[in-house]
Amino acid sequence: MSALRRYFRPEQVRELVLVVLIVALALFFGTQIQDYYTGRTFLRISTSIAIIATVAVGETLVVLTRNLDISVGSMVGFTAYFVGTQLMRHNDIAPLVAVLMAIGIGAAMGLLNGISVAYGKVPSILVTLGTLAIYRTILVEYSGAKTVVANLLPQWVLDLSSMNVFSIGELDFRLLVGLALAVVVLFQLILTYLPYGRHLYAIGSNPDAARVAGFLSQRIVLVAFVLCGALCGLAGFMFLARFSNITVVAAQGMEMEVLAAVVVGGVSIFGGSGTMIGALLGAAMIGLIDQSLIRWLVISEFWRRALLGLLILLAVEGDAVIINRLRSLWVRSELQMAPKQESQ
Amino acid sequence: MLMNAEKPPVMHMRHISKSFGATQALDDVSLSIYPGEVHALIGENGAGKSTLIKVMTGIHQPDQGEILLDGRPIQIRNSAAAQDHGIAAIYQEPMVFPDLNVAENIFISHRDRGAIVRWGRMYEDAATILAKLDVKLDVRMPARGLTLAAQQAVEIAKAISLKVRVLVMDEPTSSLSAHEVAQLFKLISTLRNQGVAILFIGHRLEEVLEIADRVTILRDGKWISSALRSQVTTEQVIQDMVGRQIEDFFAKSQAERGDLLMSVRGLSKENVFSDINFDAYRGEVLCFAGLIGARCTDVGLALFGVEPADAGHITFAGKEVKIRSPEQALDLGIAYATEDRRQFGLAIPMSVATNITLPTLRRYLTALGLVRQGDEYAMAEEYRQRLSIRAPSVKVEVGRLSGGNQQKVMLSKWLNANPKLLILDEPTRGIDVPTKVEVHHMINALAAQGLGIILISSDLPEVLAMGDRVLVMREGRQMGLFDRKAATQEKIMTAAMGHNRPAMEAQP
Repeated sequence: MSALRRYFRPEQVRELVLVVLIVALALFFGTQIQDYYTGRTFLRISTSIAIIATVAVGETLVVLTRNLDISVGSMVGFTAYFVGTQLMRHNDIAPLVAVLMAIGIGAAMGLLNGISVAYGKVPSILVTLGTLAIYRTILVEYSGAKTVVANLLPQWVLDLSSMNVFSIGELDFRLLVGLALAVVVLFQLILTYLPYGRHLYAIGSNPDAARVAGFLSQRIVLVAFVLCGALCGLAGFMFLARFSNITVVAAQGMEMEVLAAVVVGGVSIFGGSGTMIGALLGAAMIGLIDQSLIRWLVISEFWRRALLGLLILLAVEGDAVIINRLRSLWVRSELQMAPKQESQ
Repeated sequence: MLMNAEKPPVMHMRHISKSFGATQALDDVSLSIYPGEVHALIGENGAGKSTLIKVMTGIHQPDQGEILLDGRPIQIRNSAAAQDHGIAAIYQEPMVFPDLNVAENIFISHRDRGAIVRWGRMYEDAATILAKLDVKLDVRMPARGLTLAAQQAVEIAKAISLKVRVLVMDEPTSSLSAHEVAQLFKLISTLRNQGVAILFIGHRLEEVLEIADRVTILRDGKWISSALRSQVTTEQVIQDMVGRQIEDFFAKSQAERGDLLMSVRGLSKENVFSDINFDAYRGEVLCFAGLIGARCTDVGLALFGVEPADAGHITFAGKEVKIRSPEQALDLGIAYATEDRRQFGLAIPMSVATNITLPTLRRYLTALGLVRQGDEYAMAEEYRQRLSIRAPSVKVEVGRLSGGNQQKVMLSKWLNANPKLLILDEPTRGIDVPTKVEVHHMINALAAQGLGIILISSDLPEVLAMGDRVLVMREGRQMGLFDRKAATQEKIMTAAMGHNRPAMEAQP
């Protein structure tokens, strides 16, 4: 046990447990659903995970600072629809321009959230509850009750969702999946190696201390919201590429899946701890459950959301009880190993 | 002691004034801080010490006056600017980041360590700094598990690494045990020898005068005096602080011991404390003394049912009881005034009256279950006068009162519950001397009325002055129980530091 404690932090144990749970779930669904282990199932689940994970990375940045962004679903839906419409009207927009447009629109919406939270001093849950409704309403107004349809989109968009990066046997890894993995790795590196990443942890860890520590905590929170918006924009583009047909309710309710992914992935809702790898694992678990339940006939469609809610509660409660206990165990054992300060 | 009379001050504050609304927090205060010197800033709560620090560290901007650094006037717009000028502050409650490790905490405010965090070098540099300060800490350990003293050491290391020239220490000793204070003072001496100018604020006068080279006294936002430490006496300092003579520094307790109120045998809680035995009598002040980590507070919390004990027997007013919740404790007649006013004790944004009647709200309800505000205010007003709480009215928010007055509100709240036994946890921590004396008088008066009082305190002079009997704890174990006559400073300290065997209850 003490050897285990030396080499693993509680957070890492948690991630390990998550991997085991994901494998167990995959095995379980395999016994329940016919023709489960096929390339098609993998494709559907991995693409779903890719989108959730991209948004979850953005959400993690915000949650680390002890804030919350529940407007992500509307930001994803808005960019998917907006960029889709532009591509329908102007078939000649270059792919890179379209992606940058999506990221830019997302970032602008995130900026609005960030300014209200960091400088307006309004609690983030209220700000983003407001913008959740506002961004969606703007989308409805803008759409004029029309939808984006696949056959009017340029061919490269439609090809995107079937573009392969590499394959392992029957399992194809799509470009969207590769993109999501790149995002996770990039932001994990930012968290670990850039001062900005350390500042995010610091702010969520002790906001009062951050105020007097001499770094610009308001700006850091603002940037977290902007990055979250930008990643929602990117995810919106991925959403467009995956589904091609976009209605005004696109990505509605996605905040639920994303928040579930983040908390299941071990990002503390009280800020200050969590990793992108954890968020990815959380997204993997949520995507797996979500997509498998669609095909598991035992459970009705309507129970899927209840199950997500239950997972959020379990993760938060589990954290409160288990991780805290583990942590105090760790700290105690480290204190025992550290040279005795008090002896004189 | 080396004095730098000929050296120019590193920092000079000239005619600083600052007001908040109608309150004049600072009124034409001037102060010079010299390199290699510990400059003590002394004053009652509300004297303007905190505001002065906040002006120095860029949290507040002065309305008038100027700040000179090396003779040149500077503007300190925010804490980042203060840091650039080499000014840093360490507060009463250490401002560390619990989720980050020791090394990260030391370097979190650095902006000159390149665009990419080099973990290996950071750990090495952190270890070097800690070694220079003679502090033994694992740099990879998360700050969450550190003791308050260790957290302070981390903050000092951080300040040093930022090449601090002026270090402000705002009541750094108030949460430390005697041994930790000694270590901190050693650290301060090291800094002083390295030429750092230190502005030291403290409320334990003996301590402050022990470490200071120079003393400045503020009162009601005004500068009263500045002098070399060697040229002032304790009496002069107190006189300057309060502007009047204080005949007795600590009130003496004279109450007669009444009936047996509570009897505790073998009280234990796994991994927290074990085998606590004592009797508490009406009219008596029983002190729980111990250094930080002695777990006195945990016994208090167990007696009040917040964190119930898991073994042992409690007899209260003649009946064997198991205390499982604060509600039950209150019903029995046990009240507990907590150490941490902000976290556990008071609803800061609510009014004085609401706070006082909170635990006893049932008494102020109409038949329909609505609150009779008139009665509520009347009751609160009574306490405001009885305990001379300095608040313009009972409708004022508690957050706007000074620490000492908040403490009185908390006492009122529990007195209003008419307890038989009152547990007071560090009731004078962080409050100024005159208010402290008032609180001590109040405790005496309550004991004289027949209340049983358990006073948890890490302030040794307070324990010696107030305790009819003293129970000493160390790391969750009862180390001794002394009668007033037997309780000397040496005996309590040796017991608290663990140099003698656990003693049995000294039965009368």
